[in-house]
Parts: sequence; structure tokens; C-alpha cells
Amino acid sequence: MEKTSFFKRPAVQTLLASVLCAILGIILGYIILCFMNAEHAGEGMAAILTNFFKYRIASTNTLMKYMGSFLVKSVPVILCAEAILFAYKAGLFNIGVAGQYTVGIIAALYTSLALGWHWSLCLLATIVAGAVWGFIAGCFKAFFNVNEVIAGIMLNWIGLYICNIILGGEKCMNQSKSETFEISDLNPAGLLPGFLQDVFGGNQYMTIAIPITIIIAIVILVVLNKTTFGYELKATGHNKEAAKYSGMNAKRNIILTLVISGAIAGMAAGLYYLTGVEHFKISSSVPGMGFNGIAVAFLGGLHPIGAIIAGLFVEYITLGGQYLNTNYYNPQVADLMISIIIYLCGFVLFFRTILNRPGKVKVNANAEPNKTAKKAEEKEV
Amino acid sequence: MEDYVIEMLHITKEFPGIIANDDITLQLKRGEIHALLGENGAGKSTLMSVLFGLYTPEKGIIKKDGKEVKINNPNDATDLGIGMVHQHFMLVDIFTVLDNIILGSEPSKFGFLTKAEARKKVMDLSNKYNLKVDPDALIEDITVGMQQRVEILKMLYRDNDILIFDEPTAVLTPQEIDELMKIMKDLAAEGKSILFITHKLNEIMEVADRCSILRKGKYIGTVDVANTTKEELSSMMVGRNVKFAVDKEVAQPKDEVLKVENVCVKSKLHSNDSVHNVSFNVRAGEIVCIAGIDGNGQTEFVGALTGLDDISSGKITLCGEDITKKSIRYKNTHGMSHIPEDRHKHGLVLDYSLEENMILQRYFEPDFQKGGLIKKNEMRKYSDRLTEAFDVRSGQGAKTIVRSMSGGNQQKAIVAREMDRQHELLIAVQPTRGLDVGAIEYIHKEIVKERDNGKAILLVSLELDEVMNLSDRILVMYEGEIVGEVDPKTTTLQELGLYMSGAKRDDRKEAK
Amino acid sequence: MMKKKLLSVLLVATMVATVFVGCGSKSSDSNSTEGAADSTAANSDYKIAMITDSGDITDMSFNQTTYEAAKAFAEENSVEFQYYKPTEDSDDARIASFENAVTDGYNVIVVPGYLFAGMIAQVAEDYPDVTIIALDCSEFDFSDAGMDTLPENVCSFTYQEELAGYMAGYAAVKEGYEKLGFLGGMAVPAVIRYGYGFVQGANDAAVELGNASDVQVNYVYGGQFYGDDAVTAQMDTWYSNGTEIVFACGGGIYTSACEAATKVDGKVIGVDVDQSGTIANQYGDDSLCVTSAMKGLAATVDATLTDLFAGKWSNYAGKIENLGIVSGTDPSVNYVQLPTETWSMKNFTTDDYKELVSKLYDGSISVDNSTDAMPATEISVKEYDNIH
Repeated sequence: MEKTSFFKRPAVQTLLASVLCAILGIILGYIILCFMNAEHAGEGMAAILTNFFKYRIASTNTLMKYMGSFLVKSVPVILCAEAILFAYKAGLFNIGVAGQYTVGIIAALYTSLALGWHWSLCLLATIVAGAVWGFIAGCFKAFFNVNEVIAGIMLNWIGLYICNIILGGEKCMNQSKSETFEISDLNPAGLLPGFLQDVFGGNQYMTIAIPITIIIAIVILVVLNKTTFGYELKATGHNKEAAKYSGMNAKRNIILTLVISGAIAGMAAGLYYLTGVEHFKISSSVPGMGFNGIAVAFLGGLHPIGAIIAGLFVEYITLGGQYLNTNYYNPQVADLMISIIIYLCGFVLFFRTILNRPGKVKVNANAEPNKTAKKAEEKEV
Repeated sequence: MEDYVIEMLHITKEFPGIIANDDITLQLKRGEIHALLGENGAGKSTLMSVLFGLYTPEKGIIKKDGKEVKINNPNDATDLGIGMVHQHFMLVDIFTVLDNIILGSEPSKFGFLTKAEARKKVMDLSNKYNLKVDPDALIEDITVGMQQRVEILKMLYRDNDILIFDEPTAVLTPQEIDELMKIMKDLAAEGKSILFITHKLNEIMEVADRCSILRKGKYIGTVDVANTTKEELSSMMVGRNVKFAVDKEVAQPKDEVLKVENVCVKSKLHSNDSVHNVSFNVRAGEIVCIAGIDGNGQTEFVGALTGLDDISSGKITLCGEDITKKSIRYKNTHGMSHIPEDRHKHGLVLDYSLEENMILQRYFEPDFQKGGLIKKNEMRKYSDRLTEAFDVRSGQGAKTIVRSMSGGNQQKAIVAREMDRQHELLIAVQPTRGLDVGAIEYIHKEIVKERDNGKAILLVSLELDEVMNLSDRILVMYEGEIVGEVDPKTTTLQELGLYMSGAKRDDRKEAK
Repeated sequence: MMKKKLLSVLLVATMVATVFVGCGSKSSDSNSTEGAADSTAANSDYKIAMITDSGDITDMSFNQTTYEAAKAFAEENSVEFQYYKPTEDSDDARIASFENAVTDGYNVIVVPGYLFAGMIAQVAEDYPDVTIIALDCSEFDFSDAGMDTLPENVCSFTYQEELAGYMAGYAAVKEGYEKLGFLGGMAVPAVIRYGYGFVQGANDAAVELGNASDVQVNYVYGGQFYGDDAVTAQMDTWYSNGTEIVFACGGGIYTSACEAATKVDGKVIGVDVDQSGTIANQYGDDSLCVTSAMKGLAATVDATLTDLFAGKWSNYAGKIENLGIVSGTDPSVNYVQLPTETWSMKNFTTDDYKELVSKLYDGSISVDNSTDAMPATEISVKEYDNIH
């Protein structure tokens, strides 16, 4: 009875589905390249996949530097994915991650640029800001039964406009460049401390954001699987009624889940913007990071560690686009490929179903360990 | 040679760890009602899934009209005229009856639906078999019995002539069961062949022509119902003799444990109270039963009592303490155990493992957690102890996902959990719903044992046999009110029926 | 069944592997042919690359002009050319594009736009062998980015946009328009100079004509370099309230002005390059674009590359040149001008234009190039809040 077939294990199936989805995305990307310019399609695909490893010949230092950039840029999307999957496990679809990320940007840049705080306080502010945004959506859901998706979308826009107003001010925005000032110029103490910068070719953006991201993923893994809190959240996610029946406080859990999810999303913004790699510009649309996080969360099989891998993959392909030879291809092909892969992420569950199909649709009914069967027979006698 | 419509010969289906069907042969004659009897876990569902193309058997063949056929998926089965009414209906709640019936084989011309024809066919069928459905009603608005008739119409609409009913009576009220029995007989008379999966012996005796019995995946035999008795059937099913009456001593009630005073609950559907001015008490060491036809406020009352629903007025006292406004968690930890009516909706987190479900109300206790971390070892030990004590069977022990367990074992798991928890009052709502004779007997025994251990028991049941056999006092609920209290030793089924249908009521004083 | 599944997974894996193996061999093939091309192209050791700023090479403006000029030059001289598009609008991404180009062997990098100052500050000294030609990066931009003097391998050009703006404003009023509008992109110095120049030109013309009390300029920045619904709505309001002509000044933002203008038969003035042809094609109205305030991007790129190839880099090395009017008699050689080849104005003729240029050249008209505050005028200027 322990011999559950390898391919039937849920974890294996999720993994396979995700890998299949990624591979299919790459193949479709290749086909698109073929359509645009068949002669150079192989070369183009190779360029995307080789990515920054093209620097391996030129200099290891450069290679490591771009490896660092790659990691740095993967951080926010991974954390957004963590935020989404955390809420998802509790049965909440936190589409408000985009807004929570946006208020995280406000907190990060306002505290570091306008207030000149120390990085630790800035980071704390981003966490609080995201948490507050999550809290609002949570309260709406818990007390007024407003769907968290609706509340989330509304809050996304509110966050964006507040962000435009606050960061568009003189204290944060370099009016002549129409983007926020350099944290390194105004408040070097506001930058996150470096992390293995020497190893990564002196990449100044390599910061403790990287290890923190990994730690967060592990913490989420532990919380979900080992703690009473995770037990409650998942129970609520699987069956709200049963959670209520067993005396769990549904309202509190809804709010708490969205607060934590929001805090992670806010932190995603903090860990990105406080490296100094990115500046905020007045924007008329909500940052896509939160939405990409949804795709990454699903591509990662809704597993905290899977999200890291999926996030790295998506970022890798995104970065790959710039290495295409523009004489043959529009570099936006990479964006197209990413869009396709993200779209395919929606099919991860579909792939799982396919993998599952020829076997049991619903698992059997009446398994019965031999021991008890024997005992039952004894009873008969 | 007999005229068999469907023959399943020497079917063997294995799952990892168990053989669900071991060399089973089932032959269905044209125009007969053939019952398939077995305990939960005997392999009935698996066998039907094989017939319906959901599983492929390792060994054995299926013949239709004497010719061997391959059934690889439900579409193949439908093509062969095999239709199935599932235990859980497959209907779209927000569609009308007509839309649900034609769903999947919509009549159309140039891509536009032509419902008029379909409507005519549905109405003809409905009249022919006396199914009495309103084609324009929404599924969510009609009763469970009506929904089932929609399912039957769905099969008839597709011209199926082999109809499988998977435990069709589990969700019905006694009246609805009677109607269904009649419909089945009509169908058989019209030449349809019916496979009737059940473990209710009364129904088999009433309606079936022949009966095949399975036990633990093995074929036991096929009997003509006319030449057999309930006792014989049940001993073939469970492999030993079963007693239908519950052995119990006379109750020795002691202190009052639960006191309910003037409880009212507002209805979610209409402006009246769904529970009105209900007052009674339950003492330690007695089983008090609330009887009544489904939908007379029992569910709402239990909801108010346990805290799942809001109470609009009244007072509930448990062991001398006013718990009217207390949280569910408080009630859970202060003497109330609750076997809920709907085990899938409330009782279990189906995607959790058995062990995780076992600690559903206790995970926060120091026994099972330290510093917020769940003690997995303790959880495992506790779960193993309960499954051992209550004979809960599952494929992979404590880590079995509950969804994959049979209904009976799921229910046993809940019973085990609720009885083992520290409690003074056990609220058991339909505790044997959908279970087989063996399991019912077991659960009844456990409930009596509880009583004899000095617990107060509030039983809510729709099954009259259960009500009569198990309770020490019977309260009848009709339209949200307690209309009578009777003693099961002196009353008759007829008298109970009069109370339940509202034809008779006591002018009760306030609760004693 | 399990085996089947395993098989299919393997199959997929093999397919993918084949694809990549295919890639590998193909790419090595093409590398070798490229190598061959290299050896025959003995013309020059130079390889030219261009990096786009936040826009794309189809922006009908800054990037496109630079791209086309550089590409035309490269083809003429049979050297390799490619453009690079950073993954996002950040210094980091621009540096990545730069290093990517350098790794690909490109040693002449043309970068259009003030955004590149930060990138240049960080890479120029690390890659002394790579020549960087920057457009529109001012001294201020460089010092802001932490680089006070340019290294030898860099040169930059800025333009006196206020002159081009002045000419456009002057021409519009002389042509007879009284209700003018200025739609800027983002409020960056170049755009502000265009705008303030436009206001000064309109004012001076109105004073000369004596109708200063009638002339009015609506003035707004879109906050972005592309048109959208919000910008179009603002333009609709202007045109329907009587605005006759709008100077659409900022990348692709002209689309909003044109969309609004076509509804009420309004007019627009283009920017950076002669946009009359583009706009006529796009909106099917030859008279929509009255004139354009041009700066000589293409000329600059061409001239600099030509000199570089001719070994005259030292003329440029480490310098920031502020380009404007170099001739009072031949406007076509100037780096800021109005398009005379597609001249459509009737009351303000090319002769009037030449006279204006000569006055600007000899200093009898001076235009203030400060970007601090709206110039004082006799005409009325109504400033709106940024749209985004």
C-alpha cells in the first residue's frame, strides 16, 4: 500500500506539470521565433537560453555580476508569489498583492528619501504598509463579506494614486528626471547592507534581500506545514464550514492571512527598492509585479520553494530577451514568451489533470489494511 | 438461455494495497430491478465505476446483449444506454430543470437551441412515469427528491435503458423514498433494467426482483428476493447475524445537562421564524430524540444550539452555565460534542489526512502543540488509538486523505473524534445517515454506551426506526416548533406520524 | 499505462533536447558565417550599436531618428549595426544592454536621451576602448550622475530646443493662430526649453502684430512620452474650447493631440523631426501638421560618425557640444530648425522664416534658455496641472 506510483504522487505531478508548462512555453517561443525569422530562430532561442552566461567567456566577474542582477531582480516577483500562495492556501485569492506591493514602494522610498531613515526601519515600514493594505481588504472580507478580489483590485488603484501623489512630490521625485532620487545620494544608510558583493562581481545591488527571500520562503513552508496557525489556515482554505464547526475564528484568520500576505508583498517592494536598483516613476498602471506573482505562484505549484524556482525561471527568460539579435528579432519577443508561459501557468492544473487521467478519477473508496481485515475474520470465528 | 442485458463476468479490479473487486460476476436481466447489496467498502461503487467506464478492470469482461463490449470512459457507457444517478447529484444549481436535463445533448438547429422539442419530450417522459417536475424551476429552488427525479429524467431523456441508482434513498425523506420506489417499479414495468445499489434491506425487500451481495470485494451470491428474508440478506452482507433492535437498559436520568428555553431562529428564506419557541431539557444518562420530517427546523435548531448559526432569542444552558452567546470554540471546550448532519460540509476537512481531522477541535491543546508547532508524533499516536478503538478503516492509515475514505469510515472517524473528546452532551444529528447495517449497529451501540456512561445525548434523526429504537424520550418537531413529546415504549409509528405531519399536537407547557 | 506516461515524458524531453541541439548547431553555423563576413569587411574595425531609452525604435521621434541615422550610416559604410533594448527603464538595465553590446563586439555605442547620463557615468571609464556618442545628455545630467568631466571616449550633444520652440511659436502666431496649446511629455529640461521657447516666440510675434491681448497659450505636461485616453480627453477639452493649434512635444504623445485635433479640424505642430509626413499618413490629413520644431539628431549622428571614421574623434573627445544655430543665411545646416521642404504656412513664408533665423543668429533676438520659471509674457498663458 506504500507503493503509490511515482507519477501519481501529487508533488511529482505538480512538478511535472510545471516543468511541462515551462517547456511548452519555450517551444512556443521557438515557434514564434521561427515565424518571425526562421533562419535565425535557433540562434535566437540559444541567445535567450544562454542569457547572461554569454559573459562566461569574457569574464567570470561580469558573469557573476549579471548573475547577481538576475537574483536581485527575481526577489520581488518571488516574494509576491509567496504572498499569493500563502493567502491561496487559506482559500483567499489575494489579487491585492499588486496594491500591497505599491504601498510597499511608497513606504520604502518615502522613509528612505524623504525621512532619511535607517534601512532596517525602512524595511519595517514597507512590511507595515503592505500589512495595513492587506488588513483593509481583510476587514472588508471578514466584516462585510466583500469579496477579497474586488476589495483588492480597488485598493490596487487607490494605492497607485496615493503612490503617484506621495512619491511625485519634491522630496522623493527628481523632477528633472521624472523618477525618484537615488537612495545612495540622499541617504546611503537607507540602502540594504550588501551580501557577497565581491563574489558577484562587485554588484552593488546584491544585498541581504537575497537571503531574506529564501528565509521567508522557508518560514512560510514551516508555518504552513508545521504550525497550528498553518493548520488553521489550510483548514479554512479547504473547508470554511468545517473550520467554523471546529471553532476556528474565521474572521480573525481571514484578516490575519491577508495581513501577512500583504506584509510579504510590502516587503517584496522594500527588498527591491531599498537596493537602489529600481526607481519609481509616475505610473498610470498598477505595477505588474503582483500579477506576475500570481503566475509564478501557480507555476511553482503553490509551493513556497517551487515559487522560488518558478520566479527565477520567469526572470531568466525575461532577461533573455535583450540578448536577441535585434536585426532579426524585436526584443519584445521575450515579453511575448513570458506572457505565453504565464498564460500557460493557468494550465498547470490542467496538465495535472491530464497526468492524472487514465488512473483513478476519485480515489477508492474502501481501502482496508490487512491487519484489520484479518482481525475482522477472527471476530467472525 | 436467460435474457441478460448486461453481464459483468469475473471482474477484478485492484488498487494499490487492496483488491476492490475480486472475480465478481453480475448479470442483469431485461426489465428487472436488481439490487446490489454490500457494506460500505464492499466494492459496490468500484464495480459500478467499472461498468460506467471510470475504471478499467485488470481482469474480466463486460457483455451487452450477449456481445462483449469495451467501456473505456463514461461516453462509451452512455452510448451503450447506461445511465447513472449518482449519490451526489450532478446538477447545475442556477439552471432550470429543463436546461439541466438537456445539458450535454442540447437539441439545436444551426447552432441555436431548439428547446421547444426538448421541452415536449421532457414533459412526455415526466407524465409517463409520473415524475411531476416543473421544467422551469431552478434546481436550487426544488427539493432533494425533485432533484433526484431530474437526474432520472436526464437518463430517460438520453434514452438510456440500463439505469444505475447509486444509493438513491440516502438523501430522501420517507415519503420521497416511497415515491421513488414507485417510480422504479414503473420504469421496470416499461422495460428498463435497473441496478439498485443500496444497503437498506427494507427497500430491497420492497422493490427488487433479485439481489447480488458483495462482501469485502468478493462476490457472495445472488438471491431471488421473493424467496429470502431480511435476516438472510443481512447475514450474507456482513457475514454474521445482525440484530436490528438495539439492546439497552432502561435509562437512569440524572442531573440536567442541557436546558433550552424559548429558542427562536430567524429564517433565511422567509420572514417567519424557522425555529419558534423551542424549550426542552436533556439529562445525563438519557437519549432525547428530536424527530420530524426533514426541513421542519431541525437543522436550524442544531445550528443555533452549536453556534453555527445565529440565535435570535432564547437561552441555552449547558451544565448550569449560560452558553447562549458563547463561541463555538467555547462550547467545544466546555462539554459539547457534535456529530454534524453533513459530514462533508461541516464534519471533515476532506483534503486533510485522517490524523489531521482527528484533532480538528483539539489542535491548539497542549497535548498536540508546543509553541505553535504541531506535535506530529502525538497527533499520529492519538489518531492511531482512535482508529483502532473505533475500527476506522482507511487505505494508508493515519495519513490517508479523508476524501479517499468510504462514507461509513468517514462517519466513524467523526463519531470516534466526538466521543473521545471531553464532553457532557453529545449532539448527534443523523449519525447513521448513508451507512450500512453493520456500521449503524456499531454506532447505535456506541451511543447507548455513551448514555450508560452518564452522558446526555441529543439525537436528531429522520429515520423512524432509529428514533424508535434508540431514544428514551421523543420530541417531535413540526414547522419549527416542538409539537409533542412521546415515550417510545408506549407510542406507535402511527401516532408519531400524526405528530410529524402536523395532524396532532400537544398543548405543551413550558419546559419542565 | 505508467510506461506510456513515462514514454511521453521522455518524448517531450527528447523533443526539447532536439530543439536545443538544433539551436546549438545552427548558432555555430551562423557564427562562422558572421566571422567570414567580418574578415571581408575590411572597411573599418568599428561596429556600431545603438541603445534605446525608455521608448522604442518605432516612436516616430527620438529613438527612431537616431536608429535610422545610425543604421543608414552603418549600411553606407558596410559595418555591422544592431540596436539594443534594455529590459526596463533603469540605469541597471541600460548598463546591461551596454555590456551586452560590448560583449557582442560593438565598439561604437550611440545613446539617445538624457536618461543615459547615469549609464555613461558608470561604464565609460571601464571601457576606454568603446566610443560612446550621447545625444541630449547635458553637463548637468552628467554631474548629477556623479561625473564632472567626460572621459576621452565619450562625447555628448545638447540642443538649444528653446530656439526651435521659439521659431514654432513665432511662426504659429504670425500665421494667424491666436489660441495656442503646448502639450509636453514629461517635464524634463529639453521639453521645458521647447515649451518656454514656444511661449516666448508666440509672445514676441503677438507683440509685433499688436494682438497680444488676443493670443492665448494653454500649457500642460502629459507626464509621459505617449498618448492615452486621459491626455486625449484633455486635448478634446482644449480643442472644443477654441484652441486652434497644439505643439505636441514629447515622443509619442502627439497621437493624443492628433486624435483630438482631427475631430474639430484643429492643427498640431510636431517636434524633434519633421513629423508632417508621419502624421499625414497616420491620420489621412495632409494639413493636420502645420510645421515641426526640429533638432538635427540625424545630422548630428551622421556627422559625428563620419568624423569618427575619418579619424577626427579628437574634435569631440570628452566634449559636450551645445548645438543650435550655426548659420544665419542657410537655415538647413542649423541644428534647430523648421522644415522648409514641407512648408505649408501661407502668411508666414519661408522668407519670413529666413529673416527670423538670421535675427536669432546675429543676436538681435535672444531667447532665454532657463527652465526655472515660465517666462513673463504679454500674451496670457494658462498653465494646467500635469495630466499624469
